[in-house]
Amino acid sequence: MTLRAVINSVSFASPLAADVDALKALLSGGDPASAEADWHPMPACLTAREARRLSPHIRLALSAAEPIAPALPEDAGWVFASSSGEGETLHVILEAIRRPELLIQPIRFQNSVHNAASGQWTIATRRRGPVTSIAAYDDTVGVGLLKALMQVTLEQRAVGLIVFDGALPPPLHEKRPVACSMAMAVALAPAEVATLQDLAVIEGRLGDGSPQLPETACERRFAETGNPVAAAVPLLSAIFGAGGTSGGVEVAPTIRLGVGGARALHVTVEPAA
Amino acid sequence: MGAQEPMAITAFSLATCLGAGNAVHAEALRTGRSGLEPCEVYETPFLCYVGAVPGLEDCAPPPALTAWDNRATRLAEAALTADGYLGRVETAVARWGAARIGVVLGTSTSGVEKLEGAYRAREGDGPLPSEYSMRHHNDHHAVASYLMARLGLAGPCWTISTACSSSAKALVDAHQLIEAGLCDAVIAGGVDSLCLTSLAGFEGLQLVSRRPCRPCDLDRDGLSIGEGAALLLIERAVDGPYRLSGAGECSDGFHMSTPPEDGAGAAVAIREALAAAALLPPDIGYVKLHGTATPANDVSECRAVAGVLGMTTPVSSLKGAIGHTLGAAGAVEAAMCLLALEHGIVPGCVGLSQLDPVIACNVPAVARPAALNHVVANAFGFGGNNCALVLSR
Repeated sequence: MTLRAVINSVSFASPLAADVDALKALLSGGDPASAEADWHPMPACLTAREARRLSPHIRLALSAAEPIAPALPEDAGWVFASSSGEGETLHVILEAIRRPELLIQPIRFQNSVHNAASGQWTIATRRRGPVTSIAAYDDTVGVGLLKALMQVTLEQRAVGLIVFDGALPPPLHEKRPVACSMAMAVALAPAEVATLQDLAVIEGRLGDGSPQLPETACERRFAETGNPVAAAVPLLSAIFGAGGTSGGVEVAPTIRLGVGGARALHVTVEPAA
Repeated sequence: MGAQEPMAITAFSLATCLGAGNAVHAEALRTGRSGLEPCEVYETPFLCYVGAVPGLEDCAPPPALTAWDNRATRLAEAALTADGYLGRVETAVARWGAARIGVVLGTSTSGVEKLEGAYRAREGDGPLPSEYSMRHHNDHHAVASYLMARLGLAGPCWTISTACSSSAKALVDAHQLIEAGLCDAVIAGGVDSLCLTSLAGFEGLQLVSRRPCRPCDLDRDGLSIGEGAALLLIERAVDGPYRLSGAGECSDGFHMSTPPEDGAGAAVAIREALAAAALLPPDIGYVKLHGTATPANDVSECRAVAGVLGMTTPVSSLKGAIGHTLGAAGAVEAAMCLLALEHGIVPGCVGLSQLDPVIACNVPAVARPAALNHVVANAFGFGGNNCALVLSR
């Protein structure tokens, strides 16, 4: 079975590139937008009071989810993928556990789970479709995309994929250095219901080979942050370009993403019809 | 998901506070034995009962894999080494090849128990010990990557972490991997260990009972935390005794840790699971409740069950016997449902003495024999994440 979907919306959020337009500029040779310390994403679906109660990782994930939401129907599935999930909240809880009283604030605990971002997303937007929360260390982009493509193809359902990871506080940071926050999102729909709004058609199959290494200077710049979301940059680049030429012949770019084992997800991206 | 692609659950193994392996769990289902005991694993400033798995001191990973040694991987070992499960995986590898076998594991806390110890041993704001490896312990994917290394597999591998529905959803993903033709077999299951994060966190929410938990009881006052591991082997195109014949997944979109009173999301999940299995309510012989024994959850869930399946189908929670195994609960309790199907047991609701009159379901306190063909198994998690499975023989 070929896993196939149309992509009809893309978003990106990072201090390196605050949105899709900034990412496109960066991919074309521009400069990074701002430093991590000066960057505070604030999703519009949360009130300022709600947002203050949630971790920067949740705000990051929701900031990426929000721009693609209009492209997805109410019953869409949502795949939230993150290697470290709620690292900052985890640290706060672990510090609390060092004390004999073991006092953990309820709001901290319920937002410490890996699916805190996806849960808060469904609550903030009253979405009732299926939602999952998935992790695979450095292969998190690949497994997130694989799960989303399976869901689109097998359930014939539109799916929003969000991949996000933020920096961990010390002392966790030394064990998993991530220099900068990063999140991306794509809205996927069954290829059978293509529309004029579609940006590209994406196909995935499992094949041999290891995940591809960063090739361009821009890809290397993202990869050097240590953020596993950087693996999505070549994919996004292909979606924006949706096709290229080789020896005068149009070719669909192929991207190899790790999926947790010794094989790779081979992804091809073509222009929408 | 549907049943278009022939596949079956060909082997399974589990470990809980009742012990390791199928026989001890089948026996406990018959007798209603509980493994909940006053907490001795940790010193807690509050009284609680826990379901601690016995014998983990003898479940160290093999010497080549000691980098992964933590309480969660020891739980996985306890399940791997029971009932010849390892041998069944070896047979599958010989049949399908390592590259065609994947792993999908559900966990909520992974190996955080080890990280808690490392934090507690830290001096001030000092660093973690140099030998501590996040990748092998606390990372969400640590136990799944351990299973890949332990079993020599090369197919796709990921971790589902949707709190207490994690490993129910892992079973759904495993089926999709086979249905999509990406794998011929998948190791799917759940692992979660006791840890201070869970105990103190649920205590902070005022959801921990001072006694062994009593699901559906009039006097229930919260949950008892357990730990466990369950691993299922799902294979393509084989005749097996059991199958996952349907699943339903949805969100409440309501609250992080409390379901809506009417259980609307749970009802949608159960209805979708029945539709996916092409079954009608009278086909269901038993409903395994998520049944956490908190005052709000049991009422909400039973409203959903009664609304979809009526008030006569027997329903019970297994958590009075094994505690709430959190991210492992979906797979552990699914495995116990397979034992109920195999041995023809409607499990009793351990801990129940007086049914809450608000609960309009048929909740037997003690087990009884009955031929079962299809059971519904519910798993719900923080975030308002609902998953219902139909397991069939």
